[in-house]
Amino acid sequence: MSKLFFDHLIVYEEVEKGIDRVAKSQEERDELWQIVDELVHHRALGFILARLPRAHHEEFLEKFHQAPYDEGLLDYLKEKIGENLEELLREELGGLAYELLEEITGSEQKK
Amino acid sequence: MSGKQPAQTYFDIDKRKVDFDYLRNRLKIKHLEAKKAFAEKYPHVEKFLAKKGVEIGKLREHSAKIIGAGALTGSLLLASPASEKALPSPEALDKGKLKAEGREADLPQKLLVDTLGEFLPQKTRPLTRLEEKFLEQAFESVMGVKARAGLEGEHLNTTYGLIGAEQHLKRFPGDSVANHKPFLKEGIAPGLGAWGYFAPSKDKMTRELEETERWYAVVQTLYLPDWNSRQPYLRDWYKYRKVLIVNTQNGNAVIAAIADSGPAAWTGKHFGGSPEVMEYLGGPRYKKGPVVLFFVDDPENRVPLGPVDYNKINLPSLALRSL
Repeated sequence: MSKLFFDHLIVYEEVEKGIDRVAKSQEERDELWQIVDELVHHRALGFILARLPRAHHEEFLEKFHQAPYDEGLLDYLKEKIGENLEELLREELGGLAYELLEEITGSEQKK
Repeated sequence: MSGKQPAQTYFDIDKRKVDFDYLRNRLKIKHLEAKKAFAEKYPHVEKFLAKKGVEIGKLREHSAKIIGAGALTGSLLLASPASEKALPSPEALDKGKLKAEGREADLPQKLLVDTLGEFLPQKTRPLTRLEEKFLEQAFESVMGVKARAGLEGEHLNTTYGLIGAEQHLKRFPGDSVANHKPFLKEGIAPGLGAWGYFAPSKDKMTRELEETERWYAVVQTLYLPDWNSRQPYLRDWYKYRKVLIVNTQNGNAVIAAIADSGPAAWTGKHFGGSPEVMEYLGGPRYKKGPVVLFFVDDPENRVPLGPVDYNKINLPSLALRSL
């Protein structure tokens, strides 16, 4: 599976429905999906790195590079950060979903 | 004068196209801002990933490559070692063994559900080759369906994942949800499936194409690591490819045809099913759940699409009690 360790925290069903309403072809849909995916990656990694002490960045990146799918990375991060990162990241990505839905609604109102 | 004034031609621009362009541009701006902020704040991360040849935008592709390589060598175990269980041999479903355990009278479906419940991890994940092989043999023994995790060298990124409810697909220009009785409340997708209309017009529709839309499945072809580099072969290979979908919680199984690509990775789902597929797998309120999805090995196109009612079949390899 093209899985990333934080995938289970992203449940953007409404965003998907919104994109389906706007995209007319598979190509358009895939393009929007890809932009959202990249946006999520930047936001998620940025959020994690902002909380992870600088001294652990390289170690985390090495682990992430070797096994980007491994949900055990969340345990590692929890240990190093000392916060319930999973919940915080879920909130952060939930906020992003809200922003995306606003963009989609905005584009639909352009009709 | 029949033509329009140049200043009026914008009326002809497809409104949906405008919406798409507007949204794409807005999202791109948002993405570029996030990318720029990330690069400014974490230059060492950018440098690290660049050295490894990985772009943040292509993390999913990188993950798929690692998982694919692990599956090929059989070395990848995504579950922690503590949760690994020894798989039974497919003979565990054999009549003699069942008789010895006093389970001879169990329905095949119950046997399969018990077996899946015991040996599949609770949380969906890519299966190891060993696990897939066990399931291939179990499905063939119990259902009589020759299904394979990998077929003709092709393999999905995962074969054990969450399936979500999809809408009907437009089969021909002008098709509407009213033509898809009795499942009307699910609606019809505003766009077309990955392979476009099933037929160029209503009168070109065939019974076979009707069945294909009725029993359609959605798989994440767009995330296959070689999807872009092996076109048009892969696009043709996946079009209407038959798959066996087994609900691992109740054993309900259906043969479906792949007719769309998705869902997006960030929906938490890995597969999709038509309203008919979802109804059969889990009933009218079933919207999402774990399934195993394998390709059907059916070179002569003999396996019909639709439910697999394996409680009523009788196979020589497993003397099944008829209902």
